[in-house]
Amino acid sequence: MKLRSPPHPSRSSKAPALAALLTASLSLYATTAPAADGTPGAKTQQQEIDLLIQQLQGLQQQMQQLAQQNQQLMQRQQELEQQLHGAAPAPAPAPGVVAGVPPASNPVPPSGAGPVPPAYEAKAGEATSGQPASVTAYSGDSLFSNLRLWGYGEVYYNKPVHDNARSQIDLARAVFGIGYQFNSRTEFNSEYEVEHAVASASDPGEFEVEQFYIDRQLTDWASLRAGLFLMPFGLLNEHHEPTNFYGVQRNFVETLIIPSTWREGGLNLHGDTPVGLSWSAGVTSGFDLSKWDFAPENPTYSTALELEDSDTAPLQASHQELALANAQHFSEFVALNYFGVPGLDLGGAYFTGDAVKVPAPPNAPIPGNQRVTLWEGHARWTPGRFDLSALYARGSISNLAIANASNPGSPNPVPSQFYGYYFQGAYTLWDEGEYRLTPFARYEYYDMGSKYEGTDGPVLPAGAVPLSGSPGDYGTWPVGRDRVWSFGANFYLTQHVVFKADYQHFDYNTDFSRVDFGIGLAF
Amino acid sequence: MLLGNYCGQRSSLARAILVSVFASILATSCGGGDGRGPAASTAAIDPATGLSLAATAGQALFSDTSLSVSGRQSCGTCHVPQHAFAQDPATDHGLPVPLGGPNMDQTGFRNTPSLMYASFTPPFSLDGGPVGGFFRDGRASSLAAQAQQPFLTDFEMANQTEGETIGRLQNSPATLQAFVAAYGQAVLSDPHAAMQDVGLALAAYETEDPDFHPFTSKFDYWQQGKATLSVDELAGLSLFNNPGKGNCTACHPSQAQSFSTHPLFTDFSFDNIGVPRNWQIPANTPGAVSPISGAPLVTVAPIDVPSDAGYAYYDMGLCGPLLPSANDVNARADLSATTTLCGIFKVPTLRNIALTSPYFHNGIFTDLHQVVEWYVTRDINNNYDNNPTPVAAGAGGNPYQAIGTFYTAADGSPDADQYNDLPVAYDANVNIVEVPYTPPTFAGGQAPTLTPQEIDQLVAFLCTLSDGFDPSDPGAYTVPSQCQPSAAQTALANQ
Repeated sequence: MKLRSPPHPSRSSKAPALAALLTASLSLYATTAPAADGTPGAKTQQQEIDLLIQQLQGLQQQMQQLAQQNQQLMQRQQELEQQLHGAAPAPAPAPGVVAGVPPASNPVPPSGAGPVPPAYEAKAGEATSGQPASVTAYSGDSLFSNLRLWGYGEVYYNKPVHDNARSQIDLARAVFGIGYQFNSRTEFNSEYEVEHAVASASDPGEFEVEQFYIDRQLTDWASLRAGLFLMPFGLLNEHHEPTNFYGVQRNFVETLIIPSTWREGGLNLHGDTPVGLSWSAGVTSGFDLSKWDFAPENPTYSTALELEDSDTAPLQASHQELALANAQHFSEFVALNYFGVPGLDLGGAYFTGDAVKVPAPPNAPIPGNQRVTLWEGHARWTPGRFDLSALYARGSISNLAIANASNPGSPNPVPSQFYGYYFQGAYTLWDEGEYRLTPFARYEYYDMGSKYEGTDGPVLPAGAVPLSGSPGDYGTWPVGRDRVWSFGANFYLTQHVVFKADYQHFDYNTDFSRVDFGIGLAF
Repeated sequence: MLLGNYCGQRSSLARAILVSVFASILATSCGGGDGRGPAASTAAIDPATGLSLAATAGQALFSDTSLSVSGRQSCGTCHVPQHAFAQDPATDHGLPVPLGGPNMDQTGFRNTPSLMYASFTPPFSLDGGPVGGFFRDGRASSLAAQAQQPFLTDFEMANQTEGETIGRLQNSPATLQAFVAAYGQAVLSDPHAAMQDVGLALAAYETEDPDFHPFTSKFDYWQQGKATLSVDELAGLSLFNNPGKGNCTACHPSQAQSFSTHPLFTDFSFDNIGVPRNWQIPANTPGAVSPISGAPLVTVAPIDVPSDAGYAYYDMGLCGPLLPSANDVNARADLSATTTLCGIFKVPTLRNIALTSPYFHNGIFTDLHQVVEWYVTRDINNNYDNNPTPVAAGAGGNPYQAIGTFYTAADGSPDADQYNDLPVAYDANVNIVEVPYTPPTFAGGQAPTLTPQEIDQLVAFLCTLSDGFDPSDPGAYTVPSQCQPSAAQTALANQ
């Protein structure tokens, strides 16, 4: 861990402040002293002495008052400093709390500027949002005060109601973040994630760098970000900590259509305007279709948990995560969010860029490019104890006719259209102290392949098929779309620790219906 | 090739930054070698063959019968160019295994694999399951190591030593000339080193000559948009890819893998699919003599088989009885003690499959329809253990072959042994978990995953994998006999 740092500019500014206060006190004394000297000589010496004693006592009182004021001012200054520099990711003000002030433009939270996480803002009057509250290591020590650590993680228990044998419990992710404040306008943020507890060649886990970027405030209204960063899409992608969403697992639309946790490498200009509009635009790496698997022998997932984890969805299968990413093409994106009305977030985002193409036989290159486009629109309204949200996302990939026609019979052709949407409502039923119970309901629809070129769609085997390659393990091949009803509740032990439970019903892949329990934390 | 690309990129960079000294250094280092060493001489092109000198030597070696003890056998005797560099059944008296030995009366142990597309084979590895290596059991470490061994095998070219082989080479003027042009005269005094060069020359030939990997099948031209697949052929490809029907692509990928930018129709993995025992292989019958001369046959030391096995000799692929050669220092380990690997063989390419009958390592089947039908009924109507009361074949009944057709005992009667080319103790090694197998544990009942008509369509597609198709003159292509539509199909098509 690199802890050495240059002296913090704002910490060194404490000394002049103290000096100014001292100067003020002395000047006050100076103005008072001559008045004592000018007392008329008619009074006796003892009277003068008494008077001087009184004046001295008065002066002492004034000094004590000034010392108290000084202490208060110093405390206030420290608080401000922490908010300004030491506390990023600072809690983004909830739109309902600070109307007209765009959240988190400066300081920039590690998850990026964007809408406030749902779970927190439902709590009226709460000072912090759902952003993980970072801690400053050894605060007060100038060597460490610019360094920030934070983390989050979640454990799932998933029990398919029709097939207990496929129940699983998983330390889905354990994440730690490291940030560093170089100066008042320049900071570094990074997040490191272990998925599925154990990452090795023979284990299912992965170790990933999820964010790694520098953010520099250029002006009051614009900042430049460079590196690997989260894409400002939807309500969840930038705010994916478990305390920030309802339900044990993330919703399907923002997993399968928007490939959360979606990050790209590149440059991002972002900022806020006084009217409550936050904006973001950038040039980034894009998608790679060259490793598309047209011929999975077995279903790539046979439970809802596997569906989210299997990288089957079109953009999950082709995102590059900046791991030796092919960079022959760059992509562009723009995102807007309006927070101008208290409690309301209206936003949308658009991404487009040519992908690395599906491989074609030598001597028969597929003419033209294959362009990936993704857009979404979302709304969130948090009146009182309610937390209501809706999102629609649609993606497309162009020029796939030849690629798909070359693989007839494939259970997994590349879709040219895919989309999903959801409606979600939550209500804080009960709260006491830090406890809070918020039931929710969500209806969502996703279709990972609503339209295909060069084929009528996936050719899915009818009847029973081997699911895993283990003897006797048979089931039906899942379809790539579903209507999912979710009912459950988040129970917050503190604002940083949440217990969750839900039931999810799947209309098409009925075997996926499940009961889930989860533990999440973020700090 | 890699060096060339690297140098090209660097020199263009040098031009861009206009550092002339740097550029000249790079130009020197990219100048095509320093003229020393065998690579320089073997890389030169022979204008007569259009191949490197090494490959030209390999071409001469490949077809030189004088290098065998019998004087009648070369690589090309068993790897016949007109049969996709696989066996010509006519040459071998209709046997599923090749003939060889000093008198050309000895029988081999396995059906001759096609050499086409062999140069794409990765090295043998057990990581994540066995894959790669040369021969049907991956026991040779490289194409060059593999190519040396038939010269020294008793039932093939039958030379007893490397020196004997090199001696024959020195008595074969044309081949010797090509060999010396590539490798020089001096190496001949060291038979072991010269034998290594023989292997390298043959490997260079198989790697360089496009005859071994032309990618000129109707399928290739269809992929390039220059040919049209018929309705049946296209339906066959769809069944081939469909994970619930043929699922062939699971082991014979129709999509390009890491080995080549073309689909190779093999993933070079190994599998135990429980093919029936072939009694036409003399080694399968104890005490068998040469069907050609009546002479005793060369045998290989059988590996230990479990005491309850039905027969004394089994060919079990990865675990033996053919073992890695001591001459091949990089060969995989002897796996005969790893009984879970017993009975598994390398997945072959399906390119040119219509030309390489008979099929499987033991050549048990002679036509593709039989092969596909066996796949989809293996666990149903052809196996007493799985289905002792099958539906009778014939009109209105079972449209597939009758029980007992595929698994037979030595006398031709149905063999009650499940997977009878394996000791019973190793039956558990047989793959039953992938489509198109439908073992008794299959959920939802046992039914063949392909109908007889779908089998025809699948075979029609397999027939599009033969090289030599000319998209500008499709009629000129000689359709393999088993790919010509049957009279019934033609009548159906004409309705």
